[in-house]
Amino acid sequence: MGATASAGSTPIVRESRPTRPSRSSGWIAAWLPAIPLLALVALGLVGPAIVLVAQTFVDAGGFTVAQWTRVLGQAVNQEAIVTSVALGLCSATISLIIGAPVAALVSRMLAGGRAFWLGLLNVAANFGGIGLAFAYLATLGSVGMLTLIIQSLLPSFVPPRSSSVIALLLAYEYTNIPLFVLLTIPAFGVLRDEWWEAAQTASATRVQFWRRVGIPVLTPFLASGWLLIFTWAIGIYGIAYGLAGQSGGTGARIITLQIGSAIQSDVLNGTARAGVLSVVLMAIATVSLLSYRALLRRALRWF
Amino acid sequence: MSAAAPAVAAPNRRAGAGGTARRAAEAALFLGLGLYFAVPMIAVLLYSLATRWTAEVLPEAYTLTWWQSTLADPEILAAFQTTLVLATLTAAVDVALVVPAAYWARVRNPRIRPLVETSAAIPFALPYLVIGFALLQFSGIVAPGLQGTFPLVVLGHCAIAFPFVYWAVDGSMAAAGIERLSEAGETCGAPPWQIIRRIVFPNITPGIVSGSLLAFATSFGEFALTQMVGRGIYTIPIWSASAIRSYSGESGDFNRLAVVTMISFFVLFVLSAIVVYFNRGQAARLLPGAATVDKREQP
Amino acid sequence: MSGVTLERVTKTFSQVHALDDVSLEIVSGELVALLGPSGCGKTTLLRSVAGLEEPTSGRILIGGRDVTGVPTRERPIGMVFQSYALFPNLTVRQNISFPLEVRHRPPAEIRERVAELLEIVRLGPQADRYPHQISGGQAQRCALGRALAPSPEVLLLDEPLSALDALVRTRLRDEIRRIQQLVKTTAIYVTHDQSEAMAIADRVAVMNHGRVEQVAAPPALYEEPATEFAATFVGSRNALELPIADGRIGLGAAFSIAAPAASRERAIAFFRPEDVQVAVGSMGHPAVVEMKIFLGPTTRLHLATAVGDRTARLHADMPSRAAAHLEEGSVVAVRVDPQHVRAFPVDA
Repeated sequence: MGATASAGSTPIVRESRPTRPSRSSGWIAAWLPAIPLLALVALGLVGPAIVLVAQTFVDAGGFTVAQWTRVLGQAVNQEAIVTSVALGLCSATISLIIGAPVAALVSRMLAGGRAFWLGLLNVAANFGGIGLAFAYLATLGSVGMLTLIIQSLLPSFVPPRSSSVIALLLAYEYTNIPLFVLLTIPAFGVLRDEWWEAAQTASATRVQFWRRVGIPVLTPFLASGWLLIFTWAIGIYGIAYGLAGQSGGTGARIITLQIGSAIQSDVLNGTARAGVLSVVLMAIATVSLLSYRALLRRALRWF
Repeated sequence: MSAAAPAVAAPNRRAGAGGTARRAAEAALFLGLGLYFAVPMIAVLLYSLATRWTAEVLPEAYTLTWWQSTLADPEILAAFQTTLVLATLTAAVDVALVVPAAYWARVRNPRIRPLVETSAAIPFALPYLVIGFALLQFSGIVAPGLQGTFPLVVLGHCAIAFPFVYWAVDGSMAAAGIERLSEAGETCGAPPWQIIRRIVFPNITPGIVSGSLLAFATSFGEFALTQMVGRGIYTIPIWSASAIRSYSGESGDFNRLAVVTMISFFVLFVLSAIVVYFNRGQAARLLPGAATVDKREQP
Repeated sequence: MSGVTLERVTKTFSQVHALDDVSLEIVSGELVALLGPSGCGKTTLLRSVAGLEEPTSGRILIGGRDVTGVPTRERPIGMVFQSYALFPNLTVRQNISFPLEVRHRPPAEIRERVAELLEIVRLGPQADRYPHQISGGQAQRCALGRALAPSPEVLLLDEPLSALDALVRTRLRDEIRRIQQLVKTTAIYVTHDQSEAMAIADRVAVMNHGRVEQVAAPPALYEEPATEFAATFVGSRNALELPIADGRIGLGAAFSIAAPAASRERAIAFFRPEDVQVAVGSMGHPAVVEMKIFLGPTTRLHLATAVGDRTARLHADMPSRAAAHLEEGSVVAVRVDPQHVRAFPVDA
């Protein structure tokens, strides 16, 4: 049976030589399907980044660090950098403190409840920008719902000014805590139930288990989540733009708002200021990313 | 979904006195979490339905006027249209660019992978505002004619959203074992396009769906980059920003913004629900790189 | 009609020889097992026949035709993967009909052929299930059906049983052999399990470090390993490193044989536990029973004995009834028929 069927079927070997185009040969065949994506990256990300950095070191006379010394010398820019970093640190730390226990709980839920909370967390994590700024105003603004509720109980209550750092921090947390939870849930999946069972059979207490196994395993994962929130918090623009809207420029001074206003209102110096401040953000992000990678490698070294 | 249940259920088997206290703490935490999610949303919803709301805990009266006037406002409708077109294009272009690259990296040329992964790290780490500004400066040098045009905004949105598509698609290729399946297809005598159509696509559909929805959502809500490179392009976030900035205490401004926010929120909610469904209850945004841990548990 | 010939095939991955000048002749209808430890090149060899790897040099012929450089899909092969590689979006039936559909066979013929194959691999009742709905053994039978569907000249099996548990493994192993005999296809079977190779193959090719060390029928391989590696890898053997005296090596009164030609000072002697004769008395070399392990019909003794001024350990198998009176710690005399001892030079 085998012989006849196969003879009638496949035109097996054609006269022409290898139709298989590559494995060893053919630069184009090896790269062609990836070229459109790499072109997008080159035109949309890499090229612009190079130009941005280069422009901060170049003026009419050639290479110079004058833009850097001038921009970094201004008090307003120094204040913006300090405030942004502080805001990022606080935001990431609060996200860690609240988010880690939530992640631990959600990661142990049954599939149904888990999917529900993941969906909710996902919505909140992706909710940002102007919409979130408005939601904040509607909640804790001067006539926000929560403000009114609290005032009905405590008439002297005054909500934080919507353009203040505190207000920014509160608004950021709405999206950062869920983001942190989503980022670290997989890490909690790494902790196996058998480990706790094994620890029990070795007569370990729960505290000993967490101190010797749980925390060492989880720490690098939580730390890398913290680092991501820190990095992203510094780069937030939309929420801050929405909240700062009514302050008339007297609100919190953070790097992203300075960049935005530099471009929109400062015709003379705007590009230079925005450029230098952007590169500062880039530098912070790059250092964070490299640390994140290192942390993650550490987190994964036992797996 | 059900397959995962016994494993996660196990720790709950321990009942007793400690269990009740813990259960109560859990309930409190989730109640707090629920309120935390719900209160701002309720506030926005009430704003979209309130006639006046300045002194009382709840609005004085309710109306659908704001919804009607918002949905009839040509400016807002145009902004919605622009936003939807932009988000759809972003998702479609990203899928079209990412799928071939990710597939080729797996079946033919592994050197593509580190390149794409490094590229994906750029929008992952850099603020979109900075990317937007960089793109603005870059286009000023390379193609000044493109500044403020729709194609440049599409380019920017594609550049920041592609990592979501890449992670989702590559993840589903890994889960399906696409290299082995392609090889099996070859040994079955299938020509390349049959392998793509009958084997590759059906098995990475979840990745394509969730990837494109994440890209869509990213573009749908993107404000910083659009503001930077798309002067004159009027999307919903841009409209919202001008509405929130021009707030003068006039009745109506905030109410219409509330309606628009509710609609955006609803869109986001539906997208998230679909993504979670397609990921079968797994977290949709994983710590990139930590995903490898998840995979190791599966075989 | 359709043997496989490999002529001096070499495959180099970044300067490592995965295949080092391999030549192998597989005759039509024969099942050859490629046996060796992981990393020995057996899978690379199989994938080269499939066209999934392209050899750095050398030729591969199927049925006398040179297929080197011919794309996989144009080769007359069917392949079963270790991880099954069933298409998860297709049912069992659709998986099996896939190779026929992509060849544009007429629908009636496909229906008939698929029904025939479902019969052969005994998956009729599961035909409309999806891969995630069937067991591992069923999945591998489905993969076998898919590989056989286009009636390939050569069936390639890449560790097809290693993902299965022990019971299913033996059953499916015999099943694969039965089906291969039934359809009379040439087959290459990769495995790292020597008993699996022995049980299923007409001939076994023992591979190590990218080379074929020996090709032989299972009994010949078992009795007469051609190289030291084949001797250690196939079956369980005692290996004693012994000094050469007067061109001979020996273990006291147990045995004495001529030393292998190439060796100078020491050589390794291999012999099987079942060839060690154990007796009480002085007819042989004295050894101490260190441990007794009851294995059912036989009992394995762990023995310690003096080789010059060192202690060597060796295993001996004897019928359990005969071993009943031996105590741990008692002294016995061992002998080995020199016929059953093979010696190889010690690597310099």
